[in-house]
Amino acid sequence: MSLSRRHFISGCASLSLLGAPAFNARAAGLQKKNLVIIMLRGGMDGLTAIQPNDQKMAKARPDILVSGVKRLTSDFNIHPRLKSFMSCWQEGRASVVHATSIPYTMRSHFDGQNLMESGGHVPYATKTGWLGRGIEAAELGGLAISLPMPLILRGNQAPDNFYPTWMKLPSREELNLIQQSYTDGSPLAKVMEKVRARPLSMMQQIGDNDAHELAVVAAQELRRDEGPRVAVFDIGGFDTHAAQGGEDGEHGERLADFDKVLEVLKAGLGPSFDETLILTLTEFGRKVEQNGGYGTEHGYGTAILMAGGLLKQSQIYADWPGLDRSALFEGQDLLATTDARSVYCSAMSHCFDIDFATMKRKAFFDDELTDLSERLFKMS
Amino acid sequence: MKLDFFRKIGFGLGPDEIIPEKPIEWAQNQIAEPPALTWPGDIPSASKLLDQRAEFVYQDRKVLREQFKSDRKAYKDAKDQLRYKTGERYYQGLETAIRHHAAVHSEAPVFERLWLFWCNHFAISEKDMLDRWNTGAYHREVIRPHICGNFTDLVKQVTTSWTMIHHLDNSESIGPNSKWGKNRRERGEPATVNENHARELLELHTVSPAAGYTQKDVVALSYIMAGWENPHSKKRQECNPVKFNGKKHEPGNHVVLGQAFKQKGISSKSKLIDAIEFLCAHPETPKHICKKLVRHFVCDEPSDEMVAPLLTAWVQTKGDLPSVYRELIKVVYAQTGKNTKFLNPETWLLQCVRMSGADWPPSPEDMAYDFASKPPQKSRQPEWLMNDMGHNLITPSQPNGWPDTEAEWLSPELLIRRLAVADRLQYPLTPIYEGIVKKNFDNAEAVLDLLQKAKNIDFYSNPRRQAGVLFSSERMLKV
Repeated sequence: MSLSRRHFISGCASLSLLGAPAFNARAAGLQKKNLVIIMLRGGMDGLTAIQPNDQKMAKARPDILVSGVKRLTSDFNIHPRLKSFMSCWQEGRASVVHATSIPYTMRSHFDGQNLMESGGHVPYATKTGWLGRGIEAAELGGLAISLPMPLILRGNQAPDNFYPTWMKLPSREELNLIQQSYTDGSPLAKVMEKVRARPLSMMQQIGDNDAHELAVVAAQELRRDEGPRVAVFDIGGFDTHAAQGGEDGEHGERLADFDKVLEVLKAGLGPSFDETLILTLTEFGRKVEQNGGYGTEHGYGTAILMAGGLLKQSQIYADWPGLDRSALFEGQDLLATTDARSVYCSAMSHCFDIDFATMKRKAFFDDELTDLSERLFKMS
Repeated sequence: MKLDFFRKIGFGLGPDEIIPEKPIEWAQNQIAEPPALTWPGDIPSASKLLDQRAEFVYQDRKVLREQFKSDRKAYKDAKDQLRYKTGERYYQGLETAIRHHAAVHSEAPVFERLWLFWCNHFAISEKDMLDRWNTGAYHREVIRPHICGNFTDLVKQVTTSWTMIHHLDNSESIGPNSKWGKNRRERGEPATVNENHARELLELHTVSPAAGYTQKDVVALSYIMAGWENPHSKKRQECNPVKFNGKKHEPGNHVVLGQAFKQKGISSKSKLIDAIEFLCAHPETPKHICKKLVRHFVCDEPSDEMVAPLLTAWVQTKGDLPSVYRELIKVVYAQTGKNTKFLNPETWLLQCVRMSGADWPPSPEDMAYDFASKPPQKSRQPEWLMNDMGHNLITPSQPNGWPDTEAEWLSPELLIRRLAVADRLQYPLTPIYEGIVKKNFDNAEAVLDLLQKAKNIDFYSNPRRQAGVLFSSERMLKV
């Protein structure tokens, strides 16, 4: 066996695509809408990405304050490395939900990431993911799920998955022969049918493991009418306890990773970008004050970055709590005033054409969540 | 004689193996005690690996971050050097190679199958770098030596192991009324138990939800477990041997599933041991485990009848695992040819290798590492291959481990990966496939016919490649 290339999943980024036959939406006379989730692991700092115009920032972070920020609104500035995001903003196709988080305050990456994906209340207690449950609620049959299947996508259905690989895949002729050994009508034979029905684009060897190349593949698949409707990206490295830095610091580098994925998706989707919503998740934000290592510790409130033509307008949606010590969570973190799951649920409700109450019941245990669809998305 | 049995209970018969005359006895003779690992190279001890982890986390958290706080490039370089020195990117490949070597070369393949089963039953998911140093060593030193004894002892070993305690956060547990808990509350700091470990001990490791426990039981068991920790120190951080810290233990009596666990004398340490004994003796525990064993080897939905002999042996011997395995082996033999099981990717791969004599895993020479630079590509292949097949035993994403049913493993992408791997293994140059088939398959005609057809396809006309078709066939994937 010769494995010459680095493995995808061990890299900094991974991608999952979810396919669903477009007839579901088509039958209802609706345009196919795409939902792209980008998981930012490690605790993305909303205060670095989208910086409040507040002098307290300079006091709290004298050594790591980002310079060269660009103005978004009178109250907020954007990190200079978020260039594509900025250009979407200028087109009216980028939004931020600020001072938000999943309702989890214990600052463990593992528990936090587990809840960010499961949408549950107790770490590890829920074995399915909110996106998997949402897709199931929307009855999007024939799913294509990634390798390996991330928690967020787990539902209860037999998965149909796709993930780019460097491996040389069997030729059609070989697949035909192998299929002869499979019992007609067996689950194995049915899966082989799916493999053989794949477009050639999904059977090619695909090169490298960086987020850039995965985004090329994702865009190519998402823009097909019969292609997947959901993609999930995974970008790690936001846990900047040290050398978080300013404009060119470690956190800025990771934001640039995200921005590159956005750029490639937008270019690759072409007109389909108008029918797409891109949404970030993270397990928590970071403390307001810098630490002794020119980094920041685990916090609570953060920001969700969204882009795509399904957005209502460019806006910062926030019930902003401010940075006064008395307003901070436990005296040290940005307070989360919007439950991030309200945004997730609204996004699924909008993209999958399922009313909010049903989605909330089926994907989020009928928790107290707010329908933000009209505030955030273009209602047609 | 049922030839499929050797694949159903083991990894099939290799080119040099002869067909055992008495298959049931052949299998039963392999499970009395754990055989030594076959790996001919060095095997690092769990404690040495814990030292390496300690060096990594201390240097990273306490030294480098401070030293290079304003120089990102220098920080990254120094951290890379630290990764090399501590083998951070190396051990997962080595552990996988050690495990695969055992499956391919062991004279007790049935034992090796059981080892894989238990590693997944007491799974350590990918969390806080456990995969880099600790999980593989835990499989070797905590699971492997204890799967031929009593189940209760196995659970005690697992529950009080450094790796499981770190995995399920038991060090974070502070009894609210413990000495530390009271002090913390006086300072206005939270003092609570972390329920992760207690929940999984009930749900996954022992009684399962069928026992009908409630949140109250989970909290009570968390109280009982509070104090079992990996002590923290400045120089080694969390990387110190497990200790019971009475100052974090919740005092008093706690009731789990109707049973009160009482404080005895001055130490509360034995409360957890008592609780484990109680949970292992609970009637739901053998039901849960015996069914899981039969599901693993026989079929996804085993009948009560298939599970019954295991259950009887368990109850009669109070959980003596070899007694249970002996019944399991008989049931597997009886069910061979009647019920089939879709093999998980790792078991299937190891069968392909053992039966064909393919060159896998890399040798100790291939795995040689200087701990001063990037690990050589070849040394990382075992880790990468298992990731590519979607089944890395060291990195399941949840504490419930990898799934064990066809519905969860049978997906287009995972099937494609197997077909690609079957094509790519380095098979021996002499074509011996007819021999493999005759030794390992009942009713071999259809399989031989498939091999014959494969010779007409260009790619497969190379005899070595015919193994690719053989190993992708339904008879090979399901047995």
